[in-house]
Amino acid sequence: MPVIVFAVIALTMPFWFPLVGGYAGLDTKILIWAIFAIGFDILLGFTGYLSFGHAAFFGVSAYVTGLMLLHYSANIIPAMIASVIVTTIIAVMVGFLTLRRSGIYFSILTLAFGEMFYAAALSIFSDWTGGDNGLTGLPTPELFSMPFKENNVFYLVAVLAIIGYYIARRIGNSPFGMMLRAVKSNQTRLEFTGLDVKKYKLSAFVISAIYASVAGSLMVIYEPYVATEFVHWSTSGKLVIMSVLGGVGTLFGPMIGAAFMLYFENVISAFLQEQWLLVLGLVFMFIVIFLPGGFVEGAQRLKRAIAGKAGDGNASKGASE
Amino acid sequence: MTKPILDVSRVSKSFGGLRALQDVNLQVMEGSIHSLIGPNGAGKSTLLNVMTGLLQPDEGTITFDGRTLQNVTPHEINQYGIAKVFQTPAIFPEMTLLENTLIPAFARRDGSFRANLFETPEHAHEVYEQAEEALAEVGLQDHMKQEARYLSRGDKRRLELAICLVQKPKLLLLDEPTAGMARHETESTIQLLKQISSKGMTKVIVEHDMSVVFSLSDRITVLAQGQIIAEGGPDEVRGNPKVIEAYLGEEQE
Repeated sequence: MPVIVFAVIALTMPFWFPLVGGYAGLDTKILIWAIFAIGFDILLGFTGYLSFGHAAFFGVSAYVTGLMLLHYSANIIPAMIASVIVTTIIAVMVGFLTLRRSGIYFSILTLAFGEMFYAAALSIFSDWTGGDNGLTGLPTPELFSMPFKENNVFYLVAVLAIIGYYIARRIGNSPFGMMLRAVKSNQTRLEFTGLDVKKYKLSAFVISAIYASVAGSLMVIYEPYVATEFVHWSTSGKLVIMSVLGGVGTLFGPMIGAAFMLYFENVISAFLQEQWLLVLGLVFMFIVIFLPGGFVEGAQRLKRAIAGKAGDGNASKGASE
Repeated sequence: MTKPILDVSRVSKSFGGLRALQDVNLQVMEGSIHSLIGPNGAGKSTLLNVMTGLLQPDEGTITFDGRTLQNVTPHEINQYGIAKVFQTPAIFPEMTLLENTLIPAFARRDGSFRANLFETPEHAHEVYEQAEEALAEVGLQDHMKQEARYLSRGDKRRLELAICLVQKPKLLLLDEPTAGMARHETESTIQLLKQISSKGMTKVIVEHDMSVVFSLSDRITVLAQGQIIAEGGPDEVRGNPKVIEAYLGEEQE
């Protein structure tokens, strides 16, 4: 059911999004970030491992897509497949090393790895990545020799986001997903219940990296250019912020968070001008302090308050009769 | 009751200069309830941790059910058939009671890892039945959808036992199962353990509470300063002067 609701919201975006001030293309970008955020929630929301290095997977994937478009073929299919494969291999290695630690140590290790990828992209690989300028001069992406842009990109992204959300929900409801939530709840008990905790954690890490790679690749197909910002830690930070804003562990919440963040950054910022980051910071603080469950918790509280009022109304009506 | 299911042979373990276990030999007979007692620092917990693979012994071997336990992880030992009840009840607090017992039920069916990303648990009827049965066995069947963290300490212990029971372990290790419990909770835990024992599961219990030890055990091993100083049935141990000196004496004063 929630998948259908999401599908309707996502697919009709080109019709209603401009009405609320969104410019063409921003809807595509929102859905790309939504894919990124759903995958991240499988790691953070389910297992409780807070990664500050997911920009590495997003960025590496973006570079691979860019290089494939530039040097191999403008067809998006091989580019996307190559991006996912390369990112998956890197994620297995990084996950293997970083998941040996938990809590703050894991976060810092992932941050360090992320920064290593950023530094590498700007230094030793700068002949390939274009260094500080980013990867430019990419051809228009094609799908079987047909130019692939604008609306086509939007619907591809929307369909992938819907599939991504559907898969994430299925994982959440599966025994596998239950084990991931058990990792967050009590790792020792899980290990002493005969389960290979390390493999479950690594799987969650790699799945979230695959989502990140799909998002990174789509970003380049949407706008044929790779910015160095994609591998920068601020991209990881943005991902964490949107997850927290929306509601960690709810899958739907982080997507709302992504929409809010990009809408705020691109539309509302026009009214607030220079101060938009300050206002965003205040919103973030407000959420963390008063609504630790994010927008989803806010919506649930609102629903309960309305239901409660309706309930009171009925009760008093019953009493008066 | 004839053959040993767990055979600890000449095990020693040191932490720095401290010899926590010295040349310990211990045989746990299949189907029995075997208690480990001894004053604080006697090495009971170390022995238990060596049995579950949390610690590797410096010397000696541990054989369980015909298999030598060496360089194996806790989850592998668990899959061989050794379950453990912790001193502080180890459960999944943020999950429902049913989920708490579903996890071991799936572990029993699928082994230590399975990437069943798209399976719907509702269709795994057998697993569900096992999980529900285990909750019923410990008397928690009425709150299956409740989160485990809201349980009382005694009920958390019951839930932990249920988690262990789902797996039908051959050997159940209990580390001070009644620690920190009120009198009536202790009584009901003893009752529960007796009830489970009628099914022929082997148990090793580390315990401070002498009433628990003497009312449950078939055999008692007394440790002091990393060495076994006595072993036998409850009556033998109770009358042993060495034991009285090392341990019971203090208790009775």
